[in-house]
Amino acid sequence: MLATTSRRRPLGRTIVHVALALTVAFGTLAAAGGYWAVIKAPELVRSPLDPAVIQAARTVPRGTILDRDGEVLARNQKDANGELFRVYRGESISQVVGYASSRYGRAGLELAYDAELSGLGGDPVSDALRKFGTDPYDPKDLTLALSLELQRAAVRALGDRKGAVVMLDPRNGEVLAMASTPTYSASALADPATADRTFKALQEDEDEPLLPRATLGRYVPGSVFKIVTAIAGLGSGAVTPRTTYAEQPGAEEDGLVVDGFRIRDGHHLFTGSERLDLVGATQVSCNIWYALTGLETGGADLVEYAERLGFGEPLPFDLPTAISQVTNGSGDDPGGFVDDVELANAAYGQGETFVTPLQMALVASTVASGGELRRPRLVTAMTGERGTQTIGPHTVRRVLDGGDAAAITEAMVAAVETERGQQYTSGAKVPGVTTAGKSGTAELGGRGEPHSWFIGFAPAEAPRVAIAVLVEEAGRGAEVAAPMAGNLMELWLDSSE
Amino acid sequence: MDPFLLVIWIIRLLFLALLYLFLARVVGSLLRDLRAAAREPGASPGRLVVVESPAGEPEAGRSFDLDAITTLGRDVNNAIVIDDPFASTEHAVLTFRGRSWYVEDLESTNGTFVNGRAVAGVSPLGFGDEVSIGQVRLRLERARST
Amino acid sequence: MTAASRRAPANALPRILGPIRPRPRWTEARLLALAAIALVVGSVSLRLGLEGEFGLANAAGLGIYLGALGLAHLAQVLAGRRTDQVLLPVVGLLGGISLLLMQRLPQGLVTLGEGEAALGLGDVQLVWLVLGIAVTTTIAIVVRSDAWLRRYKYTWAAVGIALLLLTFIFGADVAGQRLTLRLGPIGGQPSELLKVILVVFLAGYLSENRPLLIEQDTRLGPLRLPPLPYLAPMVAMWAIALGIVVIQRDLGAALLFFAVFLALTYAATGRLSLVVIGLVLFLAGSALMANLFEHVRDRIDIWLDPFADPLGAGYQIVQSLHAFARGGLLGTGLGNGLPMVGGRLPIPEIHTDFPLAALGEELGLVGVIAILGLYFVVIQRGLRIGASAADDFRAILATGLALIVGVQAFIIAAGNLKVLPLTGVTLPFVSYGGSSLLANAVVVGLLLALSDRGVEPPPPPSSATGWRRRIQRGSA
Repeated sequence: MLATTSRRRPLGRTIVHVALALTVAFGTLAAAGGYWAVIKAPELVRSPLDPAVIQAARTVPRGTILDRDGEVLARNQKDANGELFRVYRGESISQVVGYASSRYGRAGLELAYDAELSGLGGDPVSDALRKFGTDPYDPKDLTLALSLELQRAAVRALGDRKGAVVMLDPRNGEVLAMASTPTYSASALADPATADRTFKALQEDEDEPLLPRATLGRYVPGSVFKIVTAIAGLGSGAVTPRTTYAEQPGAEEDGLVVDGFRIRDGHHLFTGSERLDLVGATQVSCNIWYALTGLETGGADLVEYAERLGFGEPLPFDLPTAISQVTNGSGDDPGGFVDDVELANAAYGQGETFVTPLQMALVASTVASGGELRRPRLVTAMTGERGTQTIGPHTVRRVLDGGDAAAITEAMVAAVETERGQQYTSGAKVPGVTTAGKSGTAELGGRGEPHSWFIGFAPAEAPRVAIAVLVEEAGRGAEVAAPMAGNLMELWLDSSE
Repeated sequence: MDPFLLVIWIIRLLFLALLYLFLARVVGSLLRDLRAAAREPGASPGRLVVVESPAGEPEAGRSFDLDAITTLGRDVNNAIVIDDPFASTEHAVLTFRGRSWYVEDLESTNGTFVNGRAVAGVSPLGFGDEVSIGQVRLRLERARST
Repeated sequence: MTAASRRAPANALPRILGPIRPRPRWTEARLLALAAIALVVGSVSLRLGLEGEFGLANAAGLGIYLGALGLAHLAQVLAGRRTDQVLLPVVGLLGGISLLLMQRLPQGLVTLGEGEAALGLGDVQLVWLVLGIAVTTTIAIVVRSDAWLRRYKYTWAAVGIALLLLTFIFGADVAGQRLTLRLGPIGGQPSELLKVILVVFLAGYLSENRPLLIEQDTRLGPLRLPPLPYLAPMVAMWAIALGIVVIQRDLGAALLFFAVFLALTYAATGRLSLVVIGLVLFLAGSALMANLFEHVRDRIDIWLDPFADPLGAGYQIVQSLHAFARGGLLGTGLGNGLPMVGGRLPIPEIHTDFPLAALGEELGLVGVIAILGLYFVVIQRGLRIGASAADDFRAILATGLALIVGVQAFIIAAGNLKVLPLTGVTLPFVSYGGSSLLANAVVVGLLLALSDRGVEPPPPPSSATGWRRRIQRGSA
């Protein structure tokens, strides 16, 4: 029971250990504070769950939204109780601008730029400084690249059919028009007097007008996907623009047999025994040439080039986008294909391939820009109390070199400009302007009419507009989408000169 | 910039700055305190060496590092147990106050002796002094330098 | 024999009471003055934030509080003890921040009385703070001997367990937790006091058995343990902690008890094996709890991903994180944060469970780190008092008291910041609540009393003959 022994340690040393443990614990707390207050803060203070955001929505005027010519697309109005609500410029912009409703939340740009529009967003430094002002809110006005006139024309062209039109400026990625139909009345949703009724009706509508088809709709691409295959084939070096296949002419009549599956074509009447190259195959939309090119390229390279174009992940865009895919990746073959049949079908857009209209517009735009993928931009400037912040063009990456892009352009020009090609792209040509394009007719496996597709750009020598048109279950691409695209490109090229 | 706003800014920042000034002063005084503590001699102010112990509890030659208060006696609850027929249950206590040692006889039956003289109440104790409790003799020494 | 020596206390300890003489406490005075300046500036800032005009927010309240601190200082000066001079200003500043926060929050959160005389949140907190200062000062001045704590450790343990049992049996259920014991009009949470009692008991037990716990071994596989019978208290503690969780649904208190117990056992014995076993028992207990009890599992799920249900189960913690995010680096300024939505505060129970989140929003990360720093100083001070204490009991007691404050502050701050699952313990000195403030006031008071370095110069020996003899010998 005696106190002094060899193993007795003074209490001081263990107390130091305890102090060290507490130091670590409190250090952790400080680090956690830094994580939430600095690193995660920009995300959290913009969240619609943040009470400051909710409070601001009721009392602080939101920023207005303007189109490229300064036309007001969204503005504020006061209701009988003095609370603010949003009024929108017509239905054509509804899926792009979205809505901000006190009852039903936000959608579209109103959601994506909620913090900026309500005045809470900004860089961390000015955020920190702003907190010292009496008025913590600095709502920003958004200027879009969108042209209200072109947008309205696109919605009018789609009419009462379901579909989407995306028009980009290939030089800088500006989104000139992004129409999805059917549209809805965002103003009726935002107005507290009509919100409940409108929302209920929209929810029950089987045509899903709330779905922005241009960014969130995923469709079988059909032949417009052949441009992706061409990019992958040329880019990977598997084929050249001169590549022909000995078995192709012979297979036109009865179809090409891949592992027992027969790939058919409909153009043997015009080409006969002619061995087609890139231009010829694109002109007549030859499934067999593209299937063989897909097999030649291989699944791995096809998927890799598609991913360089933006497939496989959400697009870098102002609005959320669905993920476009070449294959669902369930197989063990390179790239995730199940077998060569799926790869061959995917190469002309009929496999397990699903794309968004915006993604296909980017494919056209990338060819038009000589092989560079540019980030599509809706918002080009944000104007607040402390001036204007512009959002400039941004090149995401070079997808393929200029020579290959020129070869594909040549093929797409042939598809629109030549007599043989025009059987598939009638009406796509913009009068007086060299136009490049590719139509698509996406078979849905026997269910109803095929989707009608067209992608293209003009003028071919110095493109100023790229377009993707999709009309759901409207028949052949040549008949519906192609003339629509031609008219819209013409309208834009005329008005923007 | 609105001057009123500027004043608000300054006052807010001033409050935060004062919190840190306070912390800095506190840490400063803690450091001074630590330095002062470092200058103090080793943890134990002294030790007690057993010079003679006929009963072997405590055994002769053994040395006890002393706390500021050390009780001696026959009871096992004492810091130093003196197993001697002439020791009381609670016999004496050694205390270190300020910079000096004191011994206090706890009204033991047979008394406590310093250098052979009986202790009455509290008595100062120097290093080298011998304390006798019953037949047990203990000597107060400086703590070994650690 | 003089009269003085006959009055030797029965516990065999000598009187350490010297003659009382005033002793200036300049460090404490300077720090208190600085704290007072900071609080006045804070109050001005609060008024500007709330009302946009110059002046003090609730000048009377702040005046009373600062006056109480000043009186506490004066009382200690008059008492003349050489006690710690840093603790009171640091804790005083934390209490002042608490006062500002409670004055800033909607006063209707807590009301005492009715009609015009009704006291709001800020006033009630002020009453508790002043009472707390009084308790601290009284203990710091009056407690000169620790014998009453040291001697009756089992009595204390019994009192603690009795309190716990009383709460189990007679406690009122509040929000599914049985924590509050009511005695007529006075209600309180005994678990707050229990933690102090627990540390007193542990200090007594560990200091008494320290040699044994260190010396002797029982081998259990690769582990070297103290003799098994001496582990009984550890097992008992474990059982008590489990009991608290099961019956009181108070995860926070259980976590606090267990962590303090482990740390203290390690501090006293220096045996890591005990800590390892404790942690294993803790993890096993947690796993068992999570499997058996839904409320424990829910807490853990919420902790892992509060954003999974941001409007339901995860609401509080998500809102707390949002508050820190809104605060950012420098904060919104006192009175400017905490946006009300639909007339409600963003975080429920903000005044008891989330004061750190509120401060995080209004003072920013910079302010939060300053506040964590203040707690750290309290802990450091407490451990320092422990390390330089005169004996084992005092050392372990002081360490334990420091740990109570430190671990509790850590648990709730960690809960606010999603470092640990959220448990409902209070933030010491800052959260609203009488039980919590008074219990922590006792802790600070005891720490101050324990820090007494004795009276200088050394008191003359009470026996005049001693001096005479010494002088004679010296001259001889």
